Amino acid sequence: MSRIIVVTSGKGGVGKTTTTSNLGAAIAKQNRSVALIDADFGLRNLDLLLGLEERVVYTAIDVLAGECRLAQALVKDKRLKGLVLLPAAQNRNKESVQPEQMKKIATALAKGYDYILIDCPAGIELGFRNAISAAQEALIVTTPEVAAVRDADRVIGLLEAEGVNKINLIVNRVKPWMVEENKMMSVEDVLELLGVPLIGVVPDDEKVIVATNKGEPLVLGEYDSLPAQAYLNIARRLEGEKVPFLDLMANQGNLLTRLRRMFGG
Amino acid sequence: MTFEPTISLDKNDDQPDSSPLVNRYAQIYLKHDDEQMLLVLPSQAEISADLPWSETWQELKHLLQTKEQSWQVGTNVCLVAKDRLLDARQLQTIAETLDDVKLSLLTVSTNRRQTAVAAATSGYSVQQQAVAQPLIKAATDSEETSPLADPLYLQSTVRSGVEIRHPGTIVIFGDLNPGGKAIAAGDILVWGRLRGIAHAGAQGNTQCRITALQMEFTQLRIADAVARAPKLRPRRLSPELAFITTEGISLAKTSEFAKRYFFSSPSKAWIDHNQAK
Ligand SMILES: Nc1ncnc2c1ncn2[C@@H]1O[C@H](COP(=O)(O)OP(=O)(O)OP(=O)(O)O)[C@@H](O)[C@H]1O
Ligand SMILES: [Mg+2]
Repeated sequence: MSRIIVVTSGKGGVGKTTTTSNLGAAIAKQNRSVALIDADFGLRNLDLLLGLEERVVYTAIDVLAGECRLAQALVKDKRLKGLVLLPAAQNRNKESVQPEQMKKIATALAKGYDYILIDCPAGIELGFRNAISAAQEALIVTTPEVAAVRDADRVIGLLEAEGVNKINLIVNRVKPWMVEENKMMSVEDVLELLGVPLIGVVPDDEKVIVATNKGEPLVLGEYDSLPAQAYLNIARRLEGEKVPFLDLMANQGNLLTRLRRMFGG
Repeated sequence: MTFEPTISLDKNDDQPDSSPLVNRYAQIYLKHDDEQMLLVLPSQAEISADLPWSETWQELKHLLQTKEQSWQVGTNVCLVAKDRLLDARQLQTIAETLDDVKLSLLTVSTNRRQTAVAAATSGYSVQQQAVAQPLIKAATDSEETSPLADPLYLQSTVRSGVEIRHPGTIVIFGDLNPGGKAIAAGDILVWGRLRGIAHAGAQGNTQCRITALQMEFTQLRIADAVARAPKLRPRRLSPELAFITTEGISLAKTSEFAKRYFFSSPSKAWIDHNQAK
């Protein structure tokens, strides 16, 4: 049984595309096949983050127009067996695709891959509705900021209304020192508000940006780095494994607060 | 035991916008009516200028998803469409959405000829009304006399962006999150944290109250009084209740409210027994 998962957030720039590419690579590294769908029409960049830009020939639009077969449009990642990307057209606007069409594509891909990850555009308009149309579950990405969490809450409500009830949360760009100084919401604060299960915590780390710029998912390079570990852990938790959360606060605070955090989150 | 006035009142100072009072009942609702259920759409006049159909439908889906399923499988539904124009496709969408929750659309009540024709063509019974018969009286001068609808029981958290309006009491078995809004003609009970905006007695009834396990509101309104959250408010551990006194909106521990306050009709406010003497 394959799983169709949308990666969404409401607010823009919180790390949906970063999450989709790095998690996709991490899933492939666990020997699972995974197809990534770029549903951010007009602003695609999933191919860039994966370092696959120059290999894009066809896009989802060509498939829908019948100009190529689905298999032809898929870009295979040579570095990771089992990872493919279905690119979005860059020159089209979001209105050029309808939810029903996206659903058709995702369902067709589900026949050949264990995981289908859909990179959703920001906002809650048509692009969002396209991206969630086929989804059976969702990964909500948020940063520990009030506005991002508020939008995440809104999106969770919309997903629930659409009957997508399997929703997991990824808190991205956590800065332990800021949490320590009470300048940033903690993961616990975010969880308490959103009330959906936590599946990953990714630290704010310049390695993420470096990997993005190189077009090389983290798990391919220095895969024992903290953020790479975070993505691998999410991939394992998706498989149902119980993996303890990384202690990002390890270097912060005294033993007591650290212990409290470890058991709390 | 002393009660410090925990929040200040700015009565009428700046009603943010008149929308809650204008289209107070511009929300779809579902209610029991003998053997059948009524699905009531807001009338054209009650909704803000051309609310797109997709919004209405989203709202219907949301309503059905969150409403306690207190009906028997296959219960018949009468769609009270009032003056809304609905075509065959929209009627079909409504029927399918109801079907998902095991309700079946049987009758369409409308006062638009086109809607009646579409309904009849699609095979539904039609009740055509000559004049719009308002199911809920508009709040004019008869503020406290108009009857309240059955309480609305929501079994889920009200999330950001969601606005619940109901011409009766609202019970939320979950949280009312920041960015979420509950507007009731009656009381509001939140069996969870109240962090968003709650407006009780929206028809002008100053006797209405708002209670929550944890009061962490952004804004509370009762009738036309408004109270904003103070910048700093220590977290209370016991449930609290908000009500109108002669001084404006006040908070008390829910457990002590009944012992301490009584409602005075002449002053349209709750009065402290101790101070009354
Ligand atoms: N954990 C992290 N640490 C540091 N930088 C990060 C992290 N996650 C994301 N970023 C950076 O944040 C920026 C936005 O990320 P990304 O493009 O993935 O967001 P998005 O949600 O897909 O945005 P959009 O809504 O525009 O599609 C990028 O520059 C990315 O490198
Ligand atoms: Mg993106």
